[in-house]
Amino acid sequence: MIACVAVVGHQNNPLYLQSFTGADDALKLHHIVHCSLDVIDERVNNPKRSVITLNESYLGLLYPTESYKVYGYLSNTKVKFLVVTTDLDVKDTDIRSFFRRFHAAYVDAVSNPFHVPGKKIISRIFAARVSGIVKAFAPGTYG
Amino acid sequence: MANYLAQFQAIKNTSDRLVVAVEDVSDLWPSVKEGLEKRLPLKKASLNNKTRNPVYVENLQAEFILTTDSRLRSRFPQEQYLFWFREPYATIVLVSCEDLDEFKTILKPRLKLIVQNEEREWFIVFVSKAHPNNDQATKNAKKVYARLEVDFNTRKRERCCKLDLNGVDASFWEDFDFKIVESIRNTLDRRAQFYEEEIRKMSEQRLMPVWNFCNFFILKESLAFMFEMAHLHEDSLREYDELELCYIETVSTPGKQRDFGGLEHGDDQAALLKPGFKPLSQIVQDDSFREFEFRQYLFARQVKLLFRLGRPLEVVMRGYSFIISFSKTLALHENTLPFCLREVWVISACLAIISSTSSTYDGLAAPDNEKEFYRLHGDLYSLCRIKFMRLAYLIGYGVEIEKSPVNSASLSMLPWPKPSIWPAVPEDASAKVLAKEKLILQANPRMKHFNIQRKQLPLEPSSLLREANRRRASLSVGNLSELIDYRQIDGSGIDGHQKFSPSTTNSMSRTYSGPNLESSLSLDRPMRISEVHVAAEHALENTVTDPDLLKSLSSLEEFEQKYMELTKGAADNYHHSWWKRHGVALDGEIAALCFKHGNYDLAAKSYEKVCALYAGEGWQDLLAEVLPNLAECQKILNDQAGYLSSCVRLLSLEDGLFLAKERQAFQLEVVRLAHSEMKHPVPLDVSSLITFSGNPGPPLQLCDGDPGTLPVTVWSGFPDDITLESLSLTLTNTLNTDEGVKTIKSSDAHILKPGRNVIKLDVPPQKPGSYVLGVLTGQIGNLRFRSHNFSKGGPQDNDDFMSYEKPTRPVLKVLKPRTLVDISAAVSSALLMNELQWLGLIVKPIDYSLKGSLLSIDTGPGLMIDESHTIDINEYAKTMEDKVHAHDSNTITENNTHPLEPKQLYIENGKIALPDWASDTSTTLWFPVHAIDDRMARAASAVSCADSPHRQNMVDGMRTIALKLEFGAFRNQIFERTIAVHFTDPFYVTTRVANKCNDGTLLLQATIHSQVKATLCLYDAWLDLQAGFVHVRKENGRPVSSFFPLVISPSSTAGILFSICIDNMAIAADQNEVVQAESILNVMYGISGDRSNGAHSPTSLKLGSSDKLFFKVAIALQRPILDPCIAVGFVPFSSNCLRVGQLINMKWRVERLKDLEASPSSSCKDEVLYEVDANPEIWMIAGRTMGHALLSNARGSRTEITVTCMPLVSGHVRPPQLGLPAMDDANISCNPPGPHLVCVLPPTLSSSYCIPA
Repeated sequence: MIACVAVVGHQNNPLYLQSFTGADDALKLHHIVHCSLDVIDERVNNPKRSVITLNESYLGLLYPTESYKVYGYLSNTKVKFLVVTTDLDVKDTDIRSFFRRFHAAYVDAVSNPFHVPGKKIISRIFAARVSGIVKAFAPGTYG
Repeated sequence: MANYLAQFQAIKNTSDRLVVAVEDVSDLWPSVKEGLEKRLPLKKASLNNKTRNPVYVENLQAEFILTTDSRLRSRFPQEQYLFWFREPYATIVLVSCEDLDEFKTILKPRLKLIVQNEEREWFIVFVSKAHPNNDQATKNAKKVYARLEVDFNTRKRERCCKLDLNGVDASFWEDFDFKIVESIRNTLDRRAQFYEEEIRKMSEQRLMPVWNFCNFFILKESLAFMFEMAHLHEDSLREYDELELCYIETVSTPGKQRDFGGLEHGDDQAALLKPGFKPLSQIVQDDSFREFEFRQYLFARQVKLLFRLGRPLEVVMRGYSFIISFSKTLALHENTLPFCLREVWVISACLAIISSTSSTYDGLAAPDNEKEFYRLHGDLYSLCRIKFMRLAYLIGYGVEIEKSPVNSASLSMLPWPKPSIWPAVPEDASAKVLAKEKLILQANPRMKHFNIQRKQLPLEPSSLLREANRRRASLSVGNLSELIDYRQIDGSGIDGHQKFSPSTTNSMSRTYSGPNLESSLSLDRPMRISEVHVAAEHALENTVTDPDLLKSLSSLEEFEQKYMELTKGAADNYHHSWWKRHGVALDGEIAALCFKHGNYDLAAKSYEKVCALYAGEGWQDLLAEVLPNLAECQKILNDQAGYLSSCVRLLSLEDGLFLAKERQAFQLEVVRLAHSEMKHPVPLDVSSLITFSGNPGPPLQLCDGDPGTLPVTVWSGFPDDITLESLSLTLTNTLNTDEGVKTIKSSDAHILKPGRNVIKLDVPPQKPGSYVLGVLTGQIGNLRFRSHNFSKGGPQDNDDFMSYEKPTRPVLKVLKPRTLVDISAAVSSALLMNELQWLGLIVKPIDYSLKGSLLSIDTGPGLMIDESHTIDINEYAKTMEDKVHAHDSNTITENNTHPLEPKQLYIENGKIALPDWASDTSTTLWFPVHAIDDRMARAASAVSCADSPHRQNMVDGMRTIALKLEFGAFRNQIFERTIAVHFTDPFYVTTRVANKCNDGTLLLQATIHSQVKATLCLYDAWLDLQAGFVHVRKENGRPVSSFFPLVISPSSTAGILFSICIDNMAIAADQNEVVQAESILNVMYGISGDRSNGAHSPTSLKLGSSDKLFFKVAIALQRPILDPCIAVGFVPFSSNCLRVGQLINMKWRVERLKDLEASPSSSCKDEVLYEVDANPEIWMIAGRTMGHALLSNARGSRTEITVTCMPLVSGHVRPPQLGLPAMDDANISCNPPGPHLVCVLPPTLSSSYCIPA
């Protein structure tokens, strides 16, 4: 189950964070997403170390812990997309495909002329679309 | 083969180095032992690794063992085969012989026997005992050795070397080392090949039922062990890796249900670094090993090799992933394992890895590796910390764990332990239950500062109470609903243990105080949370064998100490790694604990770091969680500056993060502090809270020197109105930065409403340039605040933390100095002298308001303002003027677009206040002025009617008027100008004698030139003649009356003829009578002109009235020029030309033309007064310039006046002139009659000065 999706700006500022846990505990997800930026920073700053080449947007599993996993995706404009999932057995291709949809939704949202780049995304349509993508996400759904 | 495990273990433990067998044929060992053993360990050995690539090994350990030694002798062939790795890797045959025959007969067959075993790698060391001085012995030894070489060396390989006991050759040892290494290498290759072959064979049987992992393991580990002995650690490690893979495959194959292990005492402590923790034979399980122990064993072996290889980083990396994966494995078997063994194991594993690697890490690795190393340590600490918290939570310390995002993220998503049966409350635990109860009750749920009320973040994945009861074996389904009801009564929600309603507490205490305690713990009743804790604690005490961990869990203090240690360890290590955020987030946890223990200083420092991180990246949600804590620390520490700044930061967080009530509390704090006595008033940066911007639209434009009022929009982020005692803004000149900043102030106090406020600030006069807003400063109470932040016409966007760019839009433009107003005379033509005239001034504002302006007028000499009259003011219409221009008429028209506006002004103290309506339009002011000229106008003679007299008149008629206009908002602008106004007589008169009749009548023509741009109308003119002249026919001196009125158009002339004659009778007149020296022409005239054009009828006259003006002109009538008394003639010079410096005589001849009595002015006698007038710059006069010359009164008498003079300059110059002051000019006839010039040459060149000496 996806616990949270987040978009983080190129200066590591949160642009969008949506929790899907249902409980009133978004703050811990803020913390998880924020800490995951460490891993992205490390990967970006140390391309040698990173397993995945940076030519690819998908950063893969950032943060395996016992209880949840964080996957990352980095756009060309250094906007980061993160997914926190409590599902410990997720296929890479599913996540990859999820990120592509998520990215597309983001691009549409920021293409809105009334959106100020670098500001939080407050579009309800975006939120609804992301919720839709999250709902549709189930391991094995996307090939 | 599995039976050999114990033996295998024993062999491994005893043999840790390669064995080299020594076959001591000639009993030489005691004498060579020392020398040989000195060569060990082998300094450098070239061995082949598993892939047959050469590897250089240093300090290869080996041991020499005699073949007669029991260790080599007592082995069964099968064992030898199985544990081949411990067999000798080389055999040295020690031989000595000095007799060739003996060698051939005895030694050689024996040696052949020894070396016939093909399996062995051998070589012969021939020891020569011969003394070097003993030639014979040496010779024999050589012979024998030569024979030995022939017999045992092959073409491919030399197997002999010779050791001289007396005087060892250095080359021998090299040879010896080489041969040993060669033998070892060959043996190693052969054995590796053998093992590989065996392993390959066995691998092929993997899927068959006969497959036995133990056998495979023995083979594989033998190979690994052999490599390890040969210092080929890399290969050894690879073998273990393969073994591990193979094992995991074996374990994961479904089928046999094997024991997992981990049930023995002490298993809770990880054996990651202790390969010998349990003998392998104890963990064998059927044909394989128990997973719990065996995987740890394999890992321990790997770690040992990694340490040998000097790779602590890899130890940590492997260690971390091993712990994670093994923890998962433990989770799978959790229902068979002791309660919480998994958590306890992870804790001990992490700590073990940390302690083993941190001591071995040399810190000399590459920075990247170092960071990675620290990161992994941080991870290990962090993992350990989480597990430790979980244990602590289970036994009831959860109430004391900070419910921070960090802890919530770690714990709330971590499932509870899943034992098959949740531990039950031990017997006789009522005291402990009570203690736990007390602990829970006493734990004061820490109130957030500022009364912030938030739902606390969960630390449990699901309610512990529910989980524990659900897993109790005896709980029936029916009880589950009861449990839920119970929870609802509890009002506990997720954090059920935290808040007991008083009623529940009472009932519980009643229950426990009752005697029937045991029955209350009947199996059917769900456990209370305190019981859950007690049960967990009891179970843990059984699980944990590590005394340190037990101690850490024994009390709250111990727990907190350990918790601090782990948190600090994690934070410190993260700080050294790339993962700064992790470190800082944990700093927040350290701070929370420090705060709890009253260590506010440390807490504040850590909180500051956390806040800086969150604020820097704009994670306001997280910041809102920490910042109140920081503020509280600062408040306790009495750090007013910090506290204020924290309050301001709290206020400036996004709106949704705090309730209005809370935000008001923050503001109250700020205001309270601001009005309190502060020892050191602190400046406060409120950039995030109060922002400002200029008003939208074009900037305020001010003229140079003008003050102004600048409206500024100030956005207040305070939730309530806030009173500012003062407010000022700096302005920065964008063009001229070196001028620094100007501060403008708003004097009065302001109350800022939440949101947008417009504040007007007075701007004193500024230098020209365009100004942008700089810094907003102000005071709230005693608090000075500053704001650097510009809003862009909207409220400050809090998430836009990076936009601190300065606005480029100027708010104020001060224009360069320019003319703001122009005052000029409305009329360029002359006005009437000595009459009251309207003087027109055009006041023309140039894009500038003259509102409230004051015009001071200071008239120059000869001009005065008639203050009895009002001043007229009209609008000066330029458009009309243009139209008029088109008609070639320079008229300025008045229009009456302002019919109600005052057109009359009064002058007070020489100042006129301009009316408001005139502030933006050009106006014409009309002053009544009076120019005074006492002199009488003189008529000019037509003979000398050049322009000069007229011009003289122009200058005479010039009057000045100094104007000073004070204008601008504060009359700060001053315009000064002096205007010249031309006054003139209405006309000037030239006279000439038009005709001289034979009868002595002179026709005197007076030509009247109009000097004004107005039509003059002559009503009357008469001539009062001077003595000596009379009107013909004794008339009154008027021309024909019907001649009048005579109209003279502007700039035209008219003439009047008077008939006069010389009055010969006048001579007889009384000498005493005052004689009129000049004739006066009296003119009665009227003027009809427009004041906007020039001269006009005087203001005192009503328009249209027939009042006439009177004008007098003096006319000098000269006696006829043909009737002079005296003639003065200039006598030509004797020489042709004059030269500078040459003395000459000027001569004038004076001749009396008439008898003296005809001259009225001559006083007496026969002499004449003369005066020589010369320009002293041109002429130097030698002698007297004035004197009396003798001249007889008789007609025709003459005299000559001579003056010696010298010209000083060359050129055409005016000569000195002789005047006769006593005579009237009219009586003197001059020759030449007018001024004339003489030529003066430059001085002759004097060459005498040029002769060289």
